Amino acid sequence: MTSVLSRRQFAAGLASLTALGMFSSGHAHAAGSVVAAAFPNAWEDAYRKIVAPLVAAQGTQLVVSPALAQDQLAKLLASPGKPSFDAVLMSPGQTAEAVSRGLIEKIDPSKLKNWDKLEASARTEYGPNVTVEINGIAYNPTMVPRPSGYKDLFENKAYDGKVAWIGFGSNTAAMAWVEIAKLYGGGEDNMEPVFKLLASHLPKVGAIANNGSQQMTMFQQGEIGVFMASTGNVARLKSLGVPCEFVHPVSGSPSVPVTIHLAKGAANPEGVYQYMDAAISAEAQSKLALPPTEMIPTNSEVPLTPGIKTFVSEDDLKKLVYPDWAKINAKRAAWTAEFDRLVRR
Amino acid sequence: MNRNGFPFLLPMLALSLAGFVLPLALLGVFSFVDTSGSLTLANYQRLFADPFVLSVLVDTIALGFKVVLLTTVIALPITLLYWHVSPGLRRVIVFLTLLPMLTSNVVRTFAWIVILGRQGPISQALVELGLAPAPRSLLFNETALVVVLAQIELPLLVLPVMAVVARSDGALSAAAQTLGAGPWRILVTVLLPMMAPGFLAGWVLVFAGATTSYVTQSVIGGARLIYLPQFVYREVGVLFQWPSAAAVAFVLLAATSLIMLAMTAAARHPRLAGHA
Repeated sequence: MTSVLSRRQFAAGLASLTALGMFSSGHAHAAGSVVAAAFPNAWEDAYRKIVAPLVAAQGTQLVVSPALAQDQLAKLLASPGKPSFDAVLMSPGQTAEAVSRGLIEKIDPSKLKNWDKLEASARTEYGPNVTVEINGIAYNPTMVPRPSGYKDLFENKAYDGKVAWIGFGSNTAAMAWVEIAKLYGGGEDNMEPVFKLLASHLPKVGAIANNGSQQMTMFQQGEIGVFMASTGNVARLKSLGVPCEFVHPVSGSPSVPVTIHLAKGAANPEGVYQYMDAAISAEAQSKLALPPTEMIPTNSEVPLTPGIKTFVSEDDLKKLVYPDWAKINAKRAAWTAEFDRLVRR
Repeated sequence: MNRNGFPFLLPMLALSLAGFVLPLALLGVFSFVDTSGSLTLANYQRLFADPFVLSVLVDTIALGFKVVLLTTVIALPITLLYWHVSPGLRRVIVFLTLLPMLTSNVVRTFAWIVILGRQGPISQALVELGLAPAPRSLLFNETALVVVLAQIELPLLVLPVMAVVARSDGALSAAAQTLGAGPWRILVTVLLPMMAPGFLAGWVLVFAGATTSYVTQSVIGGARLIYLPQFVYREVGVLFQWPSAAAVAFVLLAATSLIMLAMTAAARHPRLAGHA
């Protein structure tokens, strides 16, 4: 037996390696395309249907890639300088991390035609805010009474076995835990009261989920009757015909802006500006403000729809609570580890 | 002319090298460096010093064994039926075994949410039969997870055993009967040893599938049951501890590889392999 390669065999092998190379090129961007991360499900669908055509009209293909904010951050960290997304969609919790680790860039507002139409608070040096997510409590009115606030969920027997919670990886959950900590004598820098409360309350918890999407599946299936949610989550469930209502906790509604960022090393920065401009345009935001997404617009020319007004009144808007993400991020890893150890069976 | 076919292996070898061996080697390197990039054993020391991680590792391996046990209990009657029936019915059994594999693992997992849920048929039936006072969820516990994983992994055990049975001589049990063996004796001394290589191959696949099934573990088990795949995801996706996640991934790889190697070695044992 001989293992010496003939010229023909060598050429065949070489050809196969070249073919392989087609799949492992440096980046997967086609010319004139932008890879933008968006939160899975509702955001992803809406951005594909509403924002992508507006970007396409400018000659750029918008490729919407679903990923949770924390996963986007993890992927940027995995290959700094060669990001798998050109643009990311984040809330201040992740933005602060991305800035401190040099993963996103400051933008040049002069490249955005719609920049001046944004509410002043929606203009940040790292990108435009495309909406504000208002968080509170979602409940199924056919399963449980209307909760007044977070304390009710722990102290009223009607909610035993019906409430789902998540750990600190989720922004919505992290904000809820901070608010609960404040109610029980803690705060953004002291989560001990929450862990104490949770330890004694665990037998009465409905479920501990891994992420927000999983919670929505449980809610849809009638597994749970209450979860910590944004108005967008509730709008989505309502649009699917699921009995679901939103409650602003008496202690205030924790809120977060959602921002499009330009990833450092993005393959197509100009395309990202086109995408940002499309996402903050009145045309896109007036459609995104309708069901099933009902996103609160940041473009001052887009009025609040009657649907959004059922979630947030002018009065509610005055009671929004903006958490201190620097403080939360500093302890997030430790809290996550402690939460896992506490809830594990 | 050289007929060893080596060039045809090149694409697969290159793909394995680029897509598996190199990333795995990179992961190995990651697990031995700290965040500043210098060599360290601290990632492993931290893991083995932490009782929480050790208990997660033990639970993950125990989960694998529990699923292997349950799939074996379910697979045995199926394969014995396969042994006894006509070729036509054998094709039906193969088809029914393969049928669930035609849908994705994710779809099968979500179907189980409906089956085991508070509003699901099992919960409703228990209430209707007066066995439970009110509908209750059967999800988010290890028993449910073992049942679901057993259903999902079942074809991986049944198919190798069927392959062994299909190749064996159908007259063996008749011969044993002629020599005076009863049904149980035939099962223990003829059929089970004959099927053993198939079971061993299947156990390796089921064990590997059950211990690494992130989707099913997290959806059916919820966040209160933590196994190594979820732990790795948390280390990377939430805590950004890449070196620590790499070390955990390697520990999982080493633990499952050792167990699978033991099973494979058993499958090659002359007494077991000889019956194939």
